[in-house]
Amino acid sequence: MWHIIITSLPEMLVAMVQYTIPLAIIAFIFGLILAVLTALIKFIEPSENKAIKYPWLVLRAIANFYVWVFRSTPLLVQLFIIFFGLPNIGVQLDPFIAAVIGFSLNTGAYASETIRSALLSVPQDQWDAAFTLGFSTKQTLMKIILPQAVRIALPPLSNSFISLVKDTSLASSITILEMFQVSQQITAKNFQPLLMYTLAAALYAIICSLLTWLQHYLEKRTSRYVKGSEA
Amino acid sequence: MISMKNIIKKYDGKEVLKDISVDFPEGKTSVILGPSGSGKSTLLRSIDLLVRPESGVLNFSDFSYNYAESLSKKDSMRIRQKTSMVFQNWNLFPNLTVLKNITEAPVNVLKMSQDEANKVARDLLDKVGLAEYEDRYPSQLSGGQQQRISICRALAMDPDYILLDEPTSALDPELETQVLKILEEMAKDGQSMIIVTHNMEFARLVSDKIVFIEDGEKVYDGATNDFFENPTPRIKDFLAGISLDPNKINK
Repeated sequence: MWHIIITSLPEMLVAMVQYTIPLAIIAFIFGLILAVLTALIKFIEPSENKAIKYPWLVLRAIANFYVWVFRSTPLLVQLFIIFFGLPNIGVQLDPFIAAVIGFSLNTGAYASETIRSALLSVPQDQWDAAFTLGFSTKQTLMKIILPQAVRIALPPLSNSFISLVKDTSLASSITILEMFQVSQQITAKNFQPLLMYTLAAALYAIICSLLTWLQHYLEKRTSRYVKGSEA
Repeated sequence: MISMKNIIKKYDGKEVLKDISVDFPEGKTSVILGPSGSGKSTLLRSIDLLVRPESGVLNFSDFSYNYAESLSKKDSMRIRQKTSMVFQNWNLFPNLTVLKNITEAPVNVLKMSQDEANKVARDLLDKVGLAEYEDRYPSQLSGGQQQRISICRALAMDPDYILLDEPTSALDPELETQVLKILEEMAKDGQSMIIVTHNMEFARLVSDKIVFIEDGEKVYDGATNDFFENPTPRIKDFLAGISLDPNKINK
């Protein structure tokens, strides 16, 4: 058994470093950027100025549609449409790019709601206090509201990231040689599915455990100001 | 001088401020009294634009704003730099240290240098007896300490008027006294203040004028002495209603 593990491990680690981890990190970064933008578009009430108000409402409709589409359809189907479907209208994507796009859009849709709820959870009192001191809406968001929202959003965002790491295994279905795909290929040769898939599962668990540890660290750091936290 | 003319504010069609006109003189302490839900906080918050009345005019000595007109960023900045609000639950920024709570607005809004703002903040903290707390976070302090810091935060913007919305209602009597002493000190220094409070002793001892509001209407507007010495029947009722000792009022 150890022999099989030792001979197949290097190949799987290469796949992990080459595809699984980069895919998760890149998609999470893009997803997070999308999520913040989407959340802000839905969260901020437009000013009464008509030149700003109507374009803003259009943006908001797009944001709502985007979140609806990606939360209402399966991730695997989204990946199939992007990679296998789009060529029908002349959009041929590299599998890795297709995967990044799919995972980013999917993560962004879910995380945008996490961030929006975190923004909503900061009390109106904080806005009042900032406005009375003369802060603009933008300054209030950047200096006062977002820093507090980050602390609240951290645990659910960690959930999203951990899910994303495991969901990258779906990329195997659009021809990417990520870790799970490699374990399938090795299984095809050595006929040890129990061992190989358990090994793959263990490797995902290791990555996710590291992320859990990172979450605890970040939570501690961002909770310094909260009563009862060890600071 | 802040002078409000014909202020009307509605919530869901119901008028909570019914055509109120009132002056708040400079260098004086004005107290707004009234039963719960009378509209006194709404009136105070209108001065700082945290509430936007449907109509009425807000006059400062050099500037006036008609609430019915749309509010430009420039006007709202101008008004907010003339006034600063202190809240019932102090509303300190929990993610910032005490010093940062006080310096954040001078640095970002008044474009003061951080060093200069620190100096202003430390002087203020010294005055309220909290100099050694500058690196703490608000959650590590008592309510009274937090309220004193929020007063520093308001003063650091050097506004013409400090507006205080029930500043001691959430404090126990001992902490309340700490805060009231500071307000008394500020009043003696000639700081213009407008205070919504339920503390009659404070109103009687410190304020120069009283505005009594009930059901969105101004019932009394005049000198503090007169209010307590020659109360109208309605004011007598109000004072008796909040006192355990009726003799205290009807002396």
